[in-house]
Amino acid sequence: MTTADLLLVALGAVAVGAGVLVVSTRHIVRAGLWLVVNLLAVAGCYLVLAAELVAWVQVLLYVGAVVVLLLFAVMLTRAPIGASDDLDRPRWPGALIGGGAGLGLAALFVSGYRWSRVDLPSPGTATALGEQIFTAWVLPFEVVGVLLLAALIGAIVVSRPDIGSR
Amino acid sequence: MDGYLGSYATLGITLLAGALVFVGAFSANRVLRPRRPSVSSGKFESYECGLDPVGGDWAQAQIRYYVYAYLYALFAVESVFLFPWAVIFDRPGFGGAAVVEMAIFVAVLALGLLYAWRKRVLRWA
Amino acid sequence: MTTDIAAETLKLPSLDYAALAPMLILFGVGCVGVLVEAIAPKKARFPVQLVLAVLGIAASLTAIVLAAGTEKVTAAGAVAVDGPGLFLQGSIAVLGLVALLLISERSLERGGAFVAQAAVTANSEADRDQATRGSGATEVYPLIIFSLGGMMLFAAANDLLTMFVALEVFSLPLYLLCAMARRRRLLSQEAALKYFLLGAFASAFFLFGIALVYGYAGRVDFAGIHAAVLDSPNDIALLYIGLAMVAIGLLFKAALAPFHVWTPDVYQGAPTPVTALMAACTKVAAFGGLLRVLYVAFERSQWDYRPVLGAIAVLTMLVGAVLAVTQTDIKRLLAYSSIANAGYVLVGVLAISKAGLASSLFYLVAYGFSVLAAFGIVTLVRDADGEATHLSRWAGLGRRSPLYATLFTFLLLAFAGIPLTSGFTAKFGVFAAAIEADQTWLVIAGVITSAIIAFPYLRVVVMMWLSEPGESTPAVSLPGALTAAAVTIGAAATLLLGIVPQPLLDMTENAAHFVR
Repeated sequence: MTTADLLLVALGAVAVGAGVLVVSTRHIVRAGLWLVVNLLAVAGCYLVLAAELVAWVQVLLYVGAVVVLLLFAVMLTRAPIGASDDLDRPRWPGALIGGGAGLGLAALFVSGYRWSRVDLPSPGTATALGEQIFTAWVLPFEVVGVLLLAALIGAIVVSRPDIGSR
Repeated sequence: MDGYLGSYATLGITLLAGALVFVGAFSANRVLRPRRPSVSSGKFESYECGLDPVGGDWAQAQIRYYVYAYLYALFAVESVFLFPWAVIFDRPGFGGAAVVEMAIFVAVLALGLLYAWRKRVLRWA
Repeated sequence: MTTDIAAETLKLPSLDYAALAPMLILFGVGCVGVLVEAIAPKKARFPVQLVLAVLGIAASLTAIVLAAGTEKVTAAGAVAVDGPGLFLQGSIAVLGLVALLLISERSLERGGAFVAQAAVTANSEADRDQATRGSGATEVYPLIIFSLGGMMLFAAANDLLTMFVALEVFSLPLYLLCAMARRRRLLSQEAALKYFLLGAFASAFFLFGIALVYGYAGRVDFAGIHAAVLDSPNDIALLYIGLAMVAIGLLFKAALAPFHVWTPDVYQGAPTPVTALMAACTKVAAFGGLLRVLYVAFERSQWDYRPVLGAIAVLTMLVGAVLAVTQTDIKRLLAYSSIANAGYVLVGVLAISKAGLASSLFYLVAYGFSVLAAFGIVTLVRDADGEATHLSRWAGLGRRSPLYATLFTFLLLAFAGIPLTSGFTAKFGVFAAAIEADQTWLVIAGVITSAIIAFPYLRVVVMMWLSEPGESTPAVSLPGALTAAAVTIGAAATLLLGIVPQPLLDMTENAAHFVR
């Protein structure tokens, strides 16, 4: 076991544990906060696997922006701030399906790769990713811009009650 | 500890030190503080200018804040793409084309901002 | 430094602008549409948007026609421009144009089928007020144009990542459009929410599938996956599970059982013109993507996926046909009919042959035209509260307005696959292709379910013609020019493709070759 292996296992355990807490907690706001832990642990995994830029993007975008968006969405609802009972009604079927799918995929990866060793690629720095994005993936990149624009227009149209008068 | 992971050792040690300071401060607090459990419930109430708190503790937020949050997410995505662009656009082989590509991307998102501005979404009313 | 050497040898990808023009035009027009929303005065927006959208789609169609015969992979392998791709793009443009006519109709109801302020609380005073008086939102135009552009990219995407981006671009505007029906706001919002949540779920499957396929092949482009299916050293189970997950994402969009459960609710709740758009164009795009994935990337795994997808096709046809029998709402009935029809297309797809590809393409176009006309007529049968979609309200419609009842009867017969309609030619095509490919069991299931699903169609026909019109039978509104044009085009295409299908058959035959 190298340092990288140890870090990966530890971060993976944190990610899985936080993920379980996200779906099992009865406090909806805490679910959002556990998600932060989960996303940070995944960002750590990316970092260990030499995907530098992706790791920091994960921190900036997911921990930063997406969780904020999520908490705002929770604040739009009438969900109470304390524990709420109707958060986890169908407990066992959900646990069975979620756990089964997770274990199944884990088994798939274990049987798929066994002990094969993969050397870490050269670090995924901003330069390396920039070269890829602005050569091979230009078209999808521009289309992502269109997607974000469509989402913004849609969000404004469906959310603002005073939009039609202008 | 060398190579790729070694370059992050400083960051890791800093994070570890930060966590230790945090845990240390709270443990010290726990050890040093006096312990006076109170039976009355008054200790757990939030203080509102001498008045008893009224109503629930959870207010439904206005939908307009959601649009602000979304705008933030949108431009966070945009800025994230600016990083890899900023380090490569002046390299041989990229040049004008990469600048134009980014200009189109930014312009498309700016169009969304223009729309939001014209619909007075940005106005704090 | 190695990166410097890499930078010198780097070449920017050659973008073949002529081949990409159909999509680029639509994305550009969509952006101009947003600009119009932002700066044009309120009164001018509707005509400007309508003209802009029609011109944009027409320009896109022209670009497709000009690019006909191109066979190449461009944009650094992200997009494949070939016969099926261009044919699908052309179908999306034409069907989208017809759907746009339905969407733009404003004479049936003041302000059109869309609500102006989707965020007003449903059933409140303000909501009732805007249902009868408010003008409709014109943001729907840029959203529809973005969606059509995304569908075109989806049908031409040559790697899984581009495909995923395109999938989101065409789905997201549809989720939003579903929430904007002028009447029955709660149903509409429910439809949008269901579609969005389940769609996000399906997208997650698709994305996870991409990760697994990448784990197996080390590539995401279709040619790379095709090569890796033979010689990758990795465990084949990764490929199978990956393909299954990618397929789940695609089957969801195409509304195939057991991933169809959203369809009736969404088709019922969405504004009827948007339902028409989804039933026609989304189906074309979704099957376009499915065809490319199955024929180009995973052709060498066909012996593995064919039985599974075959079972799904049989299940889809059965579910669609049997549940259609129990429906009491015309939009839900058409939704189950569209599910069953998706099953028939899948029969053609699973022939995995040139004939299968050509017949699937033909089926998609033929069905698209018929379903557009059918939903066009649904928008006409209305009373003071909007569309009267409950089947009992359609009783005796034949006496009240024989013309529309005749047209609707004709379209239902086309869905049932009666000769001299496009439905017959299309079904015959896919069944013939499947028999040729030794998939007789699919054809047997297809014929049996065709017989079952003819029953609900005929029940509607009998109800329209043989019942006395009651107090509650609504009048059929006189259509505006746009709806009239859309219904005429749809019905005429259904008839023409039934009587003289040869030109389109030749076209699909010539187009049926994927570039890898």
